[in-house]
Amino acid sequence: LIHGVPRVAVVCALIAVLNAVCWSLITPPFQVPDEPAHFAYVKQLAETGSPPHITSEYTSPEEIATIDVLRFYKIRQRPQVHSIASASAERMFERQLKEIPRSHGSLAAGVATSQPPLYYALEIVPYDLAGNVLDRLQLMRLLSAAMAALTAIFVFLFLREALPAEPWTWTVGALSIALVPLLGFMSGAVNPDTLLFGVSAATFYVLARAFRRGLNTGAAAAIGGVAAIGLLTKLNYLGFLPGIFFAVVALALREPRASRRARGARVALAIGLALSPAVAYVIRGLVTGLPLGVASAALGSFHGPLGSELDYIWQLYLPRLPGTSSYFPGLFTQRMWFERYVGLYGWLDTQFPNWVYNLALIPTAAIALLAGRALFEGRAALRRRAVEIAVYAVMAIGLLFLIGTASYQTFPLHDAEFIQSRYLLPLVPLLGAVLVLGARGAGRRWGPVAGTLIVVAFLAHDIFSQLLVVGRYYG
Amino acid sequence: MGPVKIAFMAGLAITLAALVPVLSEAPPRVIEGNAAAAGAEVEIGVTARTDARVCQSGERLPRGATSIRPSLYALTGPPVEVRVDYRGRMVAFGEHGSGWTGTSVTLPIGEVTRTLSPVTVCFTATQPSEPMLVIGIPTAARVAAYRNPGRPYEGQIKIAYVGAGQVSWLTSALSVARRMGLGRAWSGSWIAVLVGVLMLAALGLVARLIASELDA
Repeated sequence: LIHGVPRVAVVCALIAVLNAVCWSLITPPFQVPDEPAHFAYVKQLAETGSPPHITSEYTSPEEIATIDVLRFYKIRQRPQVHSIASASAERMFERQLKEIPRSHGSLAAGVATSQPPLYYALEIVPYDLAGNVLDRLQLMRLLSAAMAALTAIFVFLFLREALPAEPWTWTVGALSIALVPLLGFMSGAVNPDTLLFGVSAATFYVLARAFRRGLNTGAAAAIGGVAAIGLLTKLNYLGFLPGIFFAVVALALREPRASRRARGARVALAIGLALSPAVAYVIRGLVTGLPLGVASAALGSFHGPLGSELDYIWQLYLPRLPGTSSYFPGLFTQRMWFERYVGLYGWLDTQFPNWVYNLALIPTAAIALLAGRALFEGRAALRRRAVEIAVYAVMAIGLLFLIGTASYQTFPLHDAEFIQSRYLLPLVPLLGAVLVLGARGAGRRWGPVAGTLIVVAFLAHDIFSQLLVVGRYYG
Repeated sequence: MGPVKIAFMAGLAITLAALVPVLSEAPPRVIEGNAAAAGAEVEIGVTARTDARVCQSGERLPRGATSIRPSLYALTGPPVEVRVDYRGRMVAFGEHGSGWTGTSVTLPIGEVTRTLSPVTVCFTATQPSEPMLVIGIPTAARVAAYRNPGRPYEGQIKIAYVGAGQVSWLTSALSVARRMGLGRAWSGSWIAVLVGVLMLAALGLVARLIASELDA
């Protein structure tokens, strides 16, 4: 699957890990969306061997007591409230921490309850290495940080397969992705998203490789295997399935030398492998009555007319169509996605001043223009690779649709609960591709300079984001 | 030195230069809170989707305040305006765009040059959107916050008046580093040092990769 990983990709992976470790040390315990729920899942799995089955946020007494001692509820979503700030408060914190009685398992794991177990099963290893909640959490965060390496490596390999013309640009793409602050923030936390980003990048890689080299049995097994891992990681991966199936069928049809039977066997292998955990999981959900999280929304539990839901999803990402009513009066949703990518940390409570988001539009526009130029110059190649591009588009649309349906479930209580750019990070290989095109768009002479400036911009963004979080919690 | 190295050094220099004003700046601080600020917080009401207004009379607008921070909760906050009236005349105005999240929103109003009391502070969501929870302390209706005169919430809204800070980030760097080592698994200021060392290591690797791959 990753035969011949070049040294450059390994260094990019190392940078991604270093960055994520920094984020894991900067962010106070549990001050990442849903981290208490994900921790509870691991606790239950590690101590009882079975997953949690109650969606309540009242997890184990041990975890709740620790969270209380940390003043979690006083700090969360109150950017003016800082973390523990004095030595005397620390002494009291340590004394209280020692008095917390151990409790066995955690039947409830909040929003994590519906998720598949792969990431949580891996986190059992660091969980078992330590004694109290905080030590365990930090070690689990370090394992998450190590998973950032997967994202960086597979983004590099994807760029090598998808945009092979200028090898130096792969470094620009993968290096920049390794420094994306939102990726570092999420990878420095206990959250299955971190594994999902890596598996998603691997999916883009195996598909790009198959489009370049053909769908032989090995490629079909790789696509199916990676998809199976994705489905075992987080239900959001379901959004990729339409695109993956489309890719497998399209790839099979492009194999003129293989017999019809051989092509059918490869399609069956890929799809069968991909669906095997999903089928088992859905059956388990149906038998036990457990919710399927984001999948439940996508599988038809609509709470309004289908047309309204589609309209809502459209407006969640794109400008409202003429003749439709606004679901988001006063909200500029496209801008919100952008701003929340540029900087929204903690429990969605840590933001830059407004001028920073305006400033960020300038390099973004410059990269977009350069990428547009590269696409225009390579339009002949684009036409030749229309099917492959369509596959990536279907994958992206599938994921956006899934997030949109989940957001619609909470509407109108909340206008747009799921406008959280972390949900889009499974598409980070496509961001890498845009950066590669941006560097290429500057031309042969200035391309490496533009690529260098892109990397430095990502590095600066990361540094200022870390300082923002440091100031918010420890200022 | 080739153009790639020059670009890298220039990019780093600009980043470092941008750090100077950021670190020299003093973070804003709460200079005064209203009577509700000291009490235990509770939800005292919810704004309507179409008429989202919260007014509080009997407030004191302190000299030096540069922004006002009401305790309003929203997951996807609407655009909010604040208007401060003193003796029937508007003396301060501020606004904040949509998309904020959390239990408060900070609205810049420009620096207040003299303390004014009593003032009426009104927060209005300018576009009908997600309802906001109003957070404060329960009080009698006559001193409570209200939507419109005669339509009170169940208590007084918590409001903080924020002004310019006095201690820059650079001056407080050591205490920030000390705090980074508190309230976590492994305690000590070395956490901040470790973060710095790891980021420097990452920077070194980035520099090496750029030199070897882009400057070839």
